[in-house]
Formats: sequence, C-alpha cells, structure tokens
Amino acid sequence: MKKTQETERTQGIWIFGDYRNYFQNRVTLQLIAKGKELAGKLGTEVTVLVLGHQVHQFAMEYSAHGADVVMVVEHPALKTYQVETYTRVVAGLVEAWRPHIFLAGATAFGREFFPRLAKRLKTGLSADCVSLEVDPEHGWLIQTTPAFGGELLADVITPEHRPQMATVHPGMFKERIHDKTAVSRIVYPEVQVEADDRVQLVRSKPEQAQKGNLQDAPVVVAGGRGLGTKENFGMLFELAACLGGEVGATRPAVMAGWAEEDRLLGQTGKSVKPRLLITVGTSGAVQYTTGIQAAETIIAINRDPNAPIFKMADLGLVGEGRTILTLLLEKLRRRI
Amino acid sequence: MKFRESLISAHHNYLIDRMLTPGFLLGKADAKDDFWLLADVLLPEERAPFLCGRFYDPEGRFLVHLRGDQWVENPGGCRLQGSGDGFQILYPSGEVLLAVRTEVFTNGYLTRIQGKLYDRSGLLRVEPSFDSARVLDEAWHPLASPVRASKNS
Repeated sequence: MKKTQETERTQGIWIFGDYRNYFQNRVTLQLIAKGKELAGKLGTEVTVLVLGHQVHQFAMEYSAHGADVVMVVEHPALKTYQVETYTRVVAGLVEAWRPHIFLAGATAFGREFFPRLAKRLKTGLSADCVSLEVDPEHGWLIQTTPAFGGELLADVITPEHRPQMATVHPGMFKERIHDKTAVSRIVYPEVQVEADDRVQLVRSKPEQAQKGNLQDAPVVVAGGRGLGTKENFGMLFELAACLGGEVGATRPAVMAGWAEEDRLLGQTGKSVKPRLLITVGTSGAVQYTTGIQAAETIIAINRDPNAPIFKMADLGLVGEGRTILTLLLEKLRRRI
Repeated sequence: MKFRESLISAHHNYLIDRMLTPGFLLGKADAKDDFWLLADVLLPEERAPFLCGRFYDPEGRFLVHLRGDQWVENPGGCRLQGSGDGFQILYPSGEVLLAVRTEVFTNGYLTRIQGKLYDRSGLLRVEPSFDSARVLDEAWHPLASPVRASKNS
C-alpha cells in the first residue's frame, strides 16, 4: 500500500501519561521503553503527553524513564479527569502536532478515553494489545491483539489513517531503569482549556486497596473453574501465605464469586511477572495466559493431561487440584 | 499551535514562568554593575538549589550579591533566614526580598522562587506569579549543565 499525503506528514511516537496511582501503575513507563525501541527503528522521538494540574513530578519521572520530549498541559480544569475535556484538549494537540503513533495503557482510564479520542480523530484503535512492532518501510505500527474471543492473536495495521493508536495491556513490556541524570525537552502548548460543565464532580473516594500488591508479588498462586468449589479455591490463599505470595484468579472463578475482581488475571485483568506462578484448575485460555506469560517459572496443575496450560508450563502436574494442594500444604506446614 | 519550550531534568528543576528548567540565567552572570540571577543546575548528588545574583531595591540601590548560601557583598544589610524547605532573603525591615522553597518528590526535587527583583534602574525584572515567579520583558536562558562546573574547569 502506498503512503498517502496524510501518512507522509506525521511524525513521532506519542504516549499518554497515565500517572494516576503512579508508583503502582507502571504502564506509561513500560510504553516509553517500547516506544523508544520503535522510535529507534523509525528514526523518530518519543513524546509523553501529560495533562493535569501540578504534575511536575510525573513529567520528571517520564524524563527519567526515557522520554525524549515531555509535553505538558497544566490547568486547574484538568486536575480532575473529565473524558470530554480531555478528549477535546488531546484531539486539538494531535491535530496540531500530527504524531505518527499514539499509545496508552489499557487501564480503566485508557479503555474509556482512548476509544473516544480515536473516534474524534477518525482513526483506528487496537485495544488491549499484547505486542507492538513497526514496519519501517511503510511506517506501519503492527498491533497484535487477541481476536475472535481470544482464539487467535491478530496483527492489525492502520494503513491510511493517523495517528495509529493502540492501548496496551500493563506488564507487556519492561520499563527502563530510572536515570536521574536524564535531561529531556519539555514543551508547553498554549491550549484553551474549558471544563465540561455538563458534568460536575460531586465527590470521589479512593478504592479500598488490596492488602497485597498482586502485580509486584514474587509468587502468585492462581486458580480457575477447575477447582470446582469456593472452598477448594480458598486453599490457594493458604498456599500463597506459605510461599509469601498473592492469589490471582481467572474470569470464571471471579464470576463464580470465589475471588474479587481485583484478583483477576488476564486480558481484562492484571498482568503479573512473578518469579514463580502456580496455576491450578485453569485450562490455559489465551484471555488468561496473556496475564501470566511473563512469569519466570510456571507450575500448572490440572486433571486434564491435554489442557493447553501445560504447553506454557515449566512443570506440569496432572491430577485433582484439591488433592495436590492438600499434599502440598501438608508438606509446607511441617516446614514452617 | 503556539507553544513554549524548555528543558526538564529527572533530578532537580526550578519553576520559572510556569515552566520547569534544570537551571536558568537571567541577565549577564557575574556582571559587576547590574542585576543578574543564576539558578544553577544541580549535580546528581546535590539536593539544595544553588542561586547567585546581584539584587537591587525599587530605587535602583544595590542591596546584595549572593553566591549560594553566602553573601559576597551585602551593603543593603539584608538577612538570610533558613526555613524547613528552603530559605528567604529579607530586607532590613523584615520584608521578603526573595523566597526559595524546594519540594521533595520520591525521586527528585522542585525549587520555586518568589520575590520582586529590581535592576539598577529600579525596573522590576522578576515578580511573583501563582506559586513561583514570572520574568518580565526578557527571555531567560535555560541551562542543561552547571555553570559552576564550567567556571571551575
């Protein structure tokens, strides 16, 4: 496909700075690292866009983690996120600067904001990507995303519209180390900001934090529908406690009420990178395995010897989850 | 679309004209007979801002030549007063000439400077603006590396 006039005139990789819950939410830093890799292949720069009020700390963090340019729009009306206000401001910036690629994390924020922005810009968006690459010859962003209910991984391109937009699942890429010697350019566009007066924030309260941080846990013990009952699933909590880890769950286990939504792993939940992951009674559907594929060592327990989960496990145990968990816990209790 | 541009350091920045910068120079550094202000770039191991400058009062009378946390000259009888997060330079009357506060982040620092600074003609060169300072009628020069280091080498 030939380059159109529109595609010829765009340049740069932009990343939306999602700094909410910053020190736990690392997705923007992960995207900067990936963006730098892609920018190297395209011969361009990475710009991180930050909207808000008193956001200096986050601008500095993005510089430290590799941004070539930090673009800041500071205004009191941006302190509280309102989707229409943010969409209007960012759409104006994109139309003025014309980035080639625009990325955001597939967080609750990104999943609401980015599709609205893509529609406003009349361009395509691939959601919840698990991989990104570029074709330097054509300037395409190759966006790999689960498709057809997770049965396939599809490579998607946006050949003739710009920017090429994608949201990426947290945990897919590794962030760069914080470099306190970094110095970047910082740009302050002169933008008219008007709050959306159709919506008024009445009150906000922070969501109750989990007792542990699943995404930082060195050990994760995860369970699925194959465990059969809530009581069986409950054994995972004791196993996690013995191993100094956290508990994760598949979508069927969460929907059965065996675990809170916060513990969901996979495409629509969290991604984890533990040193050890033990997964019990999970079949290995791609919607789940996208959340665990970065674990260093995976031990799978399932009564079906043909379960797809065994293809990605380092060690597989074929048997009833409850039986194996009971034996394992007996051994561990004696050692503690 | 119009925009303004500066530099940003991962370690320490000053906030001036609503922009971050690792360091900046206003006027001619080390000028012996007029106003200048240097907010120098900090080295990675430094945490406190390094300010130098020659300050005058609204009538154009020379007040003080500051270098870091010490006077080079102080004919105006100004006082240096520390505070928990920075310091202030006070007129003999106790009025604040310059207030410097540093905010500590998890991985870095941000220094805000506030005050009314005049030159030898009594012209206002810097004034308070929101939570920092605004430079009047001229551009300041962003710095990416310490001026102290280049002078000492």
